Amino acid sequence: MNALQQNRKFKVASKLYPAVREALIIVIITVIVAIAFNALRPSGIPLFGFSSSELIKKQQANIPLITIAEAHDMYLKKKVVFVDARDPLSFEEGHIAGAINIYPDEVAIHLTRLKSLLSENAIVVTYCDGPQCPLSKETAHALLSQGIPKAQVFINGWSLWLHAGYPVARGKI
Amino acid sequence: MKIRNFPAPVAPVIALICRLALGIIFLYAGLEKIIAPSEFALAIYNYRLLPDGAINLLAVILPWLEVLLACGLIAGSYVRGSSLLSALLFLTFSVALTISLVRGLDISCGCFGGSTGSINWLYLFRDTSLLAMSVFSLFFDRGWNSFLLRKSMTLAENERSEG
Repeated sequence: MNALQQNRKFKVASKLYPAVREALIIVIITVIVAIAFNALRPSGIPLFGFSSSELIKKQQANIPLITIAEAHDMYLKKKVVFVDARDPLSFEEGHIAGAINIYPDEVAIHLTRLKSLLSENAIVVTYCDGPQCPLSKETAHALLSQGIPKAQVFINGWSLWLHAGYPVARGKI
Repeated sequence: MKIRNFPAPVAPVIALICRLALGIIFLYAGLEKIIAPSEFALAIYNYRLLPDGAINLLAVILPWLEVLLACGLIAGSYVRGSSLLSALLFLTFSVALTISLVRGLDISCGCFGGSTGSINWLYLFRDTSLLAMSVFSLFFDRGWNSFLLRKSMTLAENERSEG
C-alpha cells in the first residue's frame, strides 16, 4: 500500500516537474515580450509609474461643484441630501438642516442610512467649511466609489449657507 | 469510477475540449487587456490588493502571459506548462475575487479588459470551473500528437496499463 502511494506520488511529480519547467520558460518569454512591446508602443505605460494618490486627486477634481443658489433651490424642492463631511463636534455645533454627518473615512458605516434617505431623483451634496477644505471632496469621492450614483461638492458650504440665513440645525443625527 | 479507467479516447477528448476552450478564453481576455493597459491597471488598483509599484508591471505582463498561454494551449505546444500556469492564474483570480466579494467591494471585474461588469459570486463560480478545466487539461492532455500519431497512442496505453 505504502509503495503504491509512493508510486502514485512519483507519477504526479513526474507530470508536474516538466510542467513547472515549461511554465518557467513561458513566464520568462512573456516578461521579455511584454516589456519590449510596452516600451515600443506609443501608448505604453511606465512600468512602476502608478500613483494612487494622483489618481484619487484626479478623480476628485472631476466631481461636479454646485453653487449656493442651486443647492438652496434643490433643498426647497427636496431633491437633495446634504452630507456634512466635517468632524462630529463641528456638526453638533451647527449644520445645514436635514444634513447627515459622514466623515470621509466613515463612508462605509453610514452608507445604508444614506441610501435609505435618498429618493429616486435626489442627489447627494457634500460640504465642509472654508474654500480650501478637502473633506467634502474626499467624502464625495468615497461615496461615488461606494456606488452612490450622483454626488456634488458644495465648496465652502457651511459658511455660505449660514451667512445666507438658510435653515440650519444643531445636535447629533 | 476513476476517469482514467474510462475507454481510451474519453479523457483526452475532454481534455482537448477544455484546452481549446481555455485557449480561446485566454486569447480574448489577453487581447482586450493589451489594447488598453491603463484601464486594466485601474481595474487592478480597484481590487486594493497590490502596492502602487506592482500595479503597472502586472498590467503590462499579465495580458501577454494570457496571450502566450492561449497560443500554447491552442497550438498544443508547452501544454503542461500552459495548463499549470492557467490553473495558477485562475487560483489567484479566485482568491482575489473572494477577498473582494467578502470585503463587499463594488468594482469592475477586469476579467476581459478594464471596464466589464461589477463582480459577483457567479464570477467566482466561473473562475473555479475554469480552474478545474485547467487542472484536468494539465493531467490528461498530451497535445495534438496523441490524436495524430498511433505511436503516442500506444505509449499512452502502456502508461495506462502500468497505472
